Amino acid sequence: MTPGTIVRWALAVVVSAGALLGMVRASAAPVSLRRVESARLRLSWSARPERIEVCRTLSAAELAQREEHMRQRVECEGRFATYLLRVESDGRALHQSIVQGAGLRHDRPLFLIREIDMPPGAHHVRVTFARRETTDNDAAAFAGATSPDADTGLFAGRAQREVIERARRARAAIPPRLELDTTLEFLPERVVVVSLDPERRTLRVLTKTP
Amino acid sequence: MRLHERTLERAARRVLAALDAAATRVYGSAHNPIYQTGTVAVAMLLVLIGTGLVLVFFYRVGTPSTSVARLAADPWLGAWMRSLHRYATDVFLIAGALHLLRMFAQARSWGPRAIAWVVGLMLFGAGVICAWTGFVMAWDTFGERLARDGARLLDVVPIFSEPLSRIFAGDGPVPSAFFFVNLFVHIGLPLAMGAMLWLHVSRVARPTLLPPKRVTWTIVGALTATAVLAPATLGPAADAFRLSRSTPLDLVAAWWLPLSERVTPGTAWSVALVLAIVMFLVPRFMRRPREQSWAPSVVDPRLCTGCNQCPQDCPWDAITMVKRDDDRPSLVALVDPARCVSCGICAGSCAPMGVGPPGRTGRDQLAALRDDVLPALALASPAPIVAICCAQAPSSHVAAVRARGAYVHAVTCVGNLHSSVIERLLRDGVPGVIVCGCPPRDCVSREGPKWLVERLFNDREAELKARVDRRRVRVATFAAGSFGESIAAFESFVRDVNALRPPVRQADAELDMECEPVPFGEET
Repeated sequence: MTPGTIVRWALAVVVSAGALLGMVRASAAPVSLRRVESARLRLSWSARPERIEVCRTLSAAELAQREEHMRQRVECEGRFATYLLRVESDGRALHQSIVQGAGLRHDRPLFLIREIDMPPGAHHVRVTFARRETTDNDAAAFAGATSPDADTGLFAGRAQREVIERARRARAAIPPRLELDTTLEFLPERVVVVSLDPERRTLRVLTKTP
Repeated sequence: MRLHERTLERAARRVLAALDAAATRVYGSAHNPIYQTGTVAVAMLLVLIGTGLVLVFFYRVGTPSTSVARLAADPWLGAWMRSLHRYATDVFLIAGALHLLRMFAQARSWGPRAIAWVVGLMLFGAGVICAWTGFVMAWDTFGERLARDGARLLDVVPIFSEPLSRIFAGDGPVPSAFFFVNLFVHIGLPLAMGAMLWLHVSRVARPTLLPPKRVTWTIVGALTATAVLAPATLGPAADAFRLSRSTPLDLVAAWWLPLSERVTPGTAWSVALVLAIVMFLVPRFMRRPREQSWAPSVVDPRLCTGCNQCPQDCPWDAITMVKRDDDRPSLVALVDPARCVSCGICAGSCAPMGVGPPGRTGRDQLAALRDDVLPALALASPAPIVAICCAQAPSSHVAAVRARGAYVHAVTCVGNLHSSVIERLLRDGVPGVIVCGCPPRDCVSREGPKWLVERLFNDREAELKARVDRRRVRVATFAAGSFGESIAAFESFVRDVNALRPPVRQADAELDMECEPVPFGEET
């Protein structure tokens, strides 16, 4: 081995080691995300929007004109509700937006995810999620309505099933107004999640995964 | 527009030349890893598949971060295997990016190579997505950050019934189904990459898929040693309720993440789409008119003897042998212009000089010799050594050879060179001919230096005739960064030639008839 070869080998080893070291460093470079120790309020829930409908009970004559399997006693027409989300902290508005159901016709469940940076400490937080439409919802009014006409023949008991279905839809929909009005402790670099409790149908606060 | 195209290409070539020169200085042209970027990427893909097959047995979709943390804590197998997997990812992406740069800079992205370019881009993209899903699998803070950004970007595309971002919101545990789908993509994509790789090299003959063994094992060994000595960092486990002020980020695989996080999903998609479209359209922007130096080869059926050598030598599988339409009993070569890249290797492979790109067939080479080179040499006394240099050879090397008294004759590729040119030069009293080609792994024609050596010294068809004194012929490698070696090789050749008896001029002697052009209208 000539001295030139040895020098070249040594150079190759040093350069390779340097390149590998650079790669190791680059593979775990600490990249900062934020400059200050802020906290975060995260709002996250999904729910089925309420359907605003105008309903009417079909008369016996109207029902008689239809095929037997088409004889639905109560017919409703309408659209899905939209909601106003408003977030305040210590009396100051932090966020306001309109939320509606997903999909092109907004007939899918609504999905909400918002993140708001907060300074660490205790803050009085008020979250309201309120239906924007003020009209009465006939569907709710008709939820318990039954037709005076007797169910007979092949489709006996159908009026009762319609009632059950309207009631189920009314229960599945998000309440017209949700509100959380409380003081929350925001720790540095921590997240407080406000979510919808599907059982109680109210907003709840989470500080760890349930 | 065209000005910009060429400007970009020139700039890329300059960058590449600087990288090549630096790496050649350190590793030598034979082992320069920058020349091998495509094959290094394939080698890394194999390492990734091998280590991945082991790692997947220890991965649990139900407890991703715990299972990866357990792996990272195992010093016997898990830690270094996981680190090797990760470092191989980085090398794969670096090699892939450099390979793209090389193909772009050397104008190897258009025409018949367009498919390889497009599929290569897809391979690179698949590699990036594979890396993305792999980092998410670990489910540390870096993986979570990648997952969140991916979900944020995908949520603007209306393909999911529920926004993916809600998975990571914290109001419920991240479902195992997410990690299962992520694992499925991470394992499925390499299978697709195998098919893409096949397509990538489908238009080349004898594709070289791996670097030389020495380079392969050195890289794998160095990465393994690095994995043992400096295992890859695993960040803290992901926690939806914790904000990290900083995250250990893999800048090689996810350099774009800090940028993407700072812009809206729409902006990120727009930039990515524009970039992808521009990259995919490179073959369209960079294409040249298929004429002059880019014209596909043509066959002169009157000269073709049907020896079947040019299809064997063509690096692009562009030549096939077909039945003749005259009454001669042999086959005739047929060039597919859609596959021919005009490298001219066939011109060097055809003893009777019946095939080659217009203006570069063996006959054309001899004609150029008669018309331009030999008259110039006749003026010099004594005749100088002739250096036949590849057009891609570094200009500094060529200038140095010229400054040392050699007559420089440029060819588009040394594989294009017909051996009769060398014989004719020597018969004309030239004391020696040195052919200066590119490093074998960096030949834009893929196999130029390889076939040249075979023809000159190993009797491959279209060989340099036995009567030619081999002591007066040499092949040298001219690579950026190897100036000293290249000039030393030239000077050594000059010394060896000077030690021989002065050459005898046989200018009137005829070459083999098979090498003589058949004048138009005189064929029988």
